[in-house]
Amino acid sequence: MTDVEIRQDPLPQDETTSRTAPEAPPTAPPANSRFANTSESYAILVWRRFRRSASGMIGLILVTLLLLMSVFADFVAPVNPKESFLGFAPPDGISFMAPDGSFSLMPRVYPTVETGEFDPITFQPLTGPDLENPIELGFFVKGYSYKFFELFPADIHLFGSVDGRPVHFLGTDKLGRDILSRGIVGSRISLTIALIVVTITTTIGTLVGITSGYLGGRVDAWVQRFVDIMLAFPQLPLYLALTTLIPITAPSNVFIAFVIGVMAALGWAQLSREVRGKTLALAHVDYVRAAVAVGAGDGRIIVRHILPNVLSHVIVAVTLQIPAIVLLESFLGFLGFAVKPPLISWGLMLQDTGTFSVIGSYPWILSPVGFVLATVFAFNALGDGLRDAIDPY
Amino acid sequence: MTIASTDDLSPPERHDLGSHGRELILDARNIGVDFKVEGGIVNAVHDVSFQLHKGETIALVGESGSGKSVTARTVMRLLTKRATINKQTRITLSGKDVIALSDAEMRKLRGNDLTMIFQEPMSSLNPVYTIGQQLCEILHLHNRISRSEAMKRAEALLEEVQIPEPAARLRQYPHQLSGGQRQRVMIAMALANRPDVLIADEPTTALDVTVQAQILNLIKDLKAKYGMAVILITHDLTIVRQFSDYVYVMQNGRVQEHNTTEALFQNPRHAYTQHLLASEPKGSAVPIVSNSPTVLEGKDVKVAFTLKRGGFFKPDFFELVAVDKLSLNLKRHETLGLVGESGSGKTTFGQALIRLISNQGGEIVFDGERIDGKDRTAMRPLRSRMQIVFQDPFASLNPRMSVRQIIEEGLIVNNIGKDTRDRVGRVRQALRDAGMPDTILNRFPHEFSGGQRQRLAIARAIALEPEFILLDEPTSALDLSVQAQIIELLRKLQAEKGLSYLFISHDLKVVKALCHRVMVMQYGKIVEQGPVNDVLENPQTDYTRRLVRAAFEIAA
Repeated sequence: MTDVEIRQDPLPQDETTSRTAPEAPPTAPPANSRFANTSESYAILVWRRFRRSASGMIGLILVTLLLLMSVFADFVAPVNPKESFLGFAPPDGISFMAPDGSFSLMPRVYPTVETGEFDPITFQPLTGPDLENPIELGFFVKGYSYKFFELFPADIHLFGSVDGRPVHFLGTDKLGRDILSRGIVGSRISLTIALIVVTITTTIGTLVGITSGYLGGRVDAWVQRFVDIMLAFPQLPLYLALTTLIPITAPSNVFIAFVIGVMAALGWAQLSREVRGKTLALAHVDYVRAAVAVGAGDGRIIVRHILPNVLSHVIVAVTLQIPAIVLLESFLGFLGFAVKPPLISWGLMLQDTGTFSVIGSYPWILSPVGFVLATVFAFNALGDGLRDAIDPY
Repeated sequence: MTIASTDDLSPPERHDLGSHGRELILDARNIGVDFKVEGGIVNAVHDVSFQLHKGETIALVGESGSGKSVTARTVMRLLTKRATINKQTRITLSGKDVIALSDAEMRKLRGNDLTMIFQEPMSSLNPVYTIGQQLCEILHLHNRISRSEAMKRAEALLEEVQIPEPAARLRQYPHQLSGGQRQRVMIAMALANRPDVLIADEPTTALDVTVQAQILNLIKDLKAKYGMAVILITHDLTIVRQFSDYVYVMQNGRVQEHNTTEALFQNPRHAYTQHLLASEPKGSAVPIVSNSPTVLEGKDVKVAFTLKRGGFFKPDFFELVAVDKLSLNLKRHETLGLVGESGSGKTTFGQALIRLISNQGGEIVFDGERIDGKDRTAMRPLRSRMQIVFQDPFASLNPRMSVRQIIEEGLIVNNIGKDTRDRVGRVRQALRDAGMPDTILNRFPHEFSGGQRQRLAIARAIALEPEFILLDEPTSALDLSVQAQIIELLRKLQAEKGLSYLFISHDLKVVKALCHRVMVMQYGKIVEQGPVNDVLENPQTDYTRRLVRAAFEIAA
């Protein structure tokens, strides 16, 4: 749009009688005049409203951090998530105390070792912090080697032990693998599943919804009956039945693709119903009629007039659907129907928590729940904030 | 508009204060209201003072945004939480300081001494309660009376506001009543406890003209009967002249001038008052040559909607005939008015003529070509030659498109213009023709006022260089002075580009100013038609006579 320059000429006379007072009252602060002469796009308006919602902003920051964490998962994870150490090791506490008892700024971890003494009654060996061999912690330390974006070999990690000895901030699971690192790396699979499923359901849901709502009549009636059937299906048994169809010997990525397919096939109906409702209303709005009156065809009306106006609703639906899929994955994973080892996902990690005695003795293996909680909260807060910001326009 | 002259014209006290021996009932001094908005505070009402005597009507007149409703709501203490009433504000109602009252005392006052009726009778009544229940609730809130006694009084109230069969109405729900009847019920509620002051906030804006006259006369009669004082808020000067004793002219949250109605209309002194009085639609259409060719012709056009009555197992389809075999002939350069009350089928008829709605019978001929029966694809080559401007400028522009995109769309789909540069040139020309600067291409509709948006809608229509434009109440959502400007613009465009208009309206004043001929519609039929001056000055049918009287004299 190079041929369009912005000059500011006075608008015609009826400005004086419009709802915005022409001579700004003397009490009006200059803050408003800052925008008076510039055009504000829809996105800027939404952003201005969004900024005012505290929970929305927190959600946005958390979502950004989550996405960064999963993209750079190998860099963030302190320990190789696939390597086995001592099973069910408790979380290592971070201490700011030097071995001599004085305070120091250098954080360190004292590994738990047998002290050589025995309990005088049970004769069990006693354990305690190994004060002689503290593991010093630091940022940007050398650790296990990985491939950055599957391309460049690297071994730098965001944080970890300075000398490369393993530190388990959240303890280890039954095979002795570091839970924190597995959680971080597992976010990749969990979020990828959620994003792919939501992308597919959104595309299908929006397309079906707009077509059904815009065409109306008989097409609409039949499509909506089909949507009714989709929504009425008892989804959980269906998930379980469909996932058992996959041969047990199938490679784990085939398995994941199948799970994504099943979730997407069952997830689009709700959104399509909502989009259809919005489209029905929009199809009779004056500006759509005006477009018909200038001779615009169906395709143009859908793409230029209806889609942009339902898109705000769709964006909100997406941010609210992502946590639902994350929850579903963790649930199915817990039942063993979502992701197969050696892939790592939050749901799969929770499989270990299946027995009461394990949770009682080693409560730290519940910590993947924390990841799921944070994700669900982050996306929900972001979605709520977006909805409030988008609605008024 | 100097400050000095403003001060002379609007002193805090009335020019005739105490001169006619009536008791002063409401004295408002220096009302100031601020609203918290994004990025600061907006001063909505500034230093407004007025006085109200027993048994008289004062009018607050102004265009939208002038602060008249906010002033009234301040008196009722019904402002939103975002509003703050300034410290110097003093409102005294029969000796009581309204601002200092507690919320509980204020609740007692509202509905008892001080009541208000609102603009929108459709949403002012609760749809899940009967009329009787809602009236009794008001009576019970302020009086200790039995149920049967309350019902009896409710019936008497309905009789007072002249609703036929009041006993039966008490058991009905709001949706069973017409708009005018609902406004009568609202008035009955307001009168239930014999208030001293009634505030009527645009009580008839949402109603048809003939109903408007009835409602206003009802308020006038009741005022005389009970010696109430009435504050009438309106933008319609004809109403003011007819019904009020004293007028306050408001603009931008200030009273610019006030005087007795007679003095104000005879000798408007403030520039804004003069401007407002001059905004009444006037003038008439430029006569056309007698042998002008026909542009659009409709013969026995019928539009009917099939509705379903009865249940699933026993469907009962019936036909609602919205347009019943109407014929119409529009000549080049001519403006034909189509008037009638809401529900008369005038919009349906207009949209059928440009094939936005399909007709079930009859012939439609556009410039010698039959267009009825053509589907959307077949209509496309003709679309650029016939355009439409809608009533509501807030709904007719896509909020997600810039001004350039909105106006350019028609050019793109009709392949008008050689390239982008040529098209943008045409968009700029259309904007200039519609009286807008051509530098606003990248702005969005929400940045413009109602009148400016209507100019954009007109620019979209004329960018295609049509021969015929359907104007569907293009001025009824606009303020009076903006309305006058749009009428002027339409007249100018007709002269410059030789356009033909079909002008749909319920406002006979605008029709008189703009149209050559007029057709009066009722229940899907044409009751009367002819040259505009003949029809309006010498109406032949009862219905037209009623419309004319209601519009020009506000008499039922």
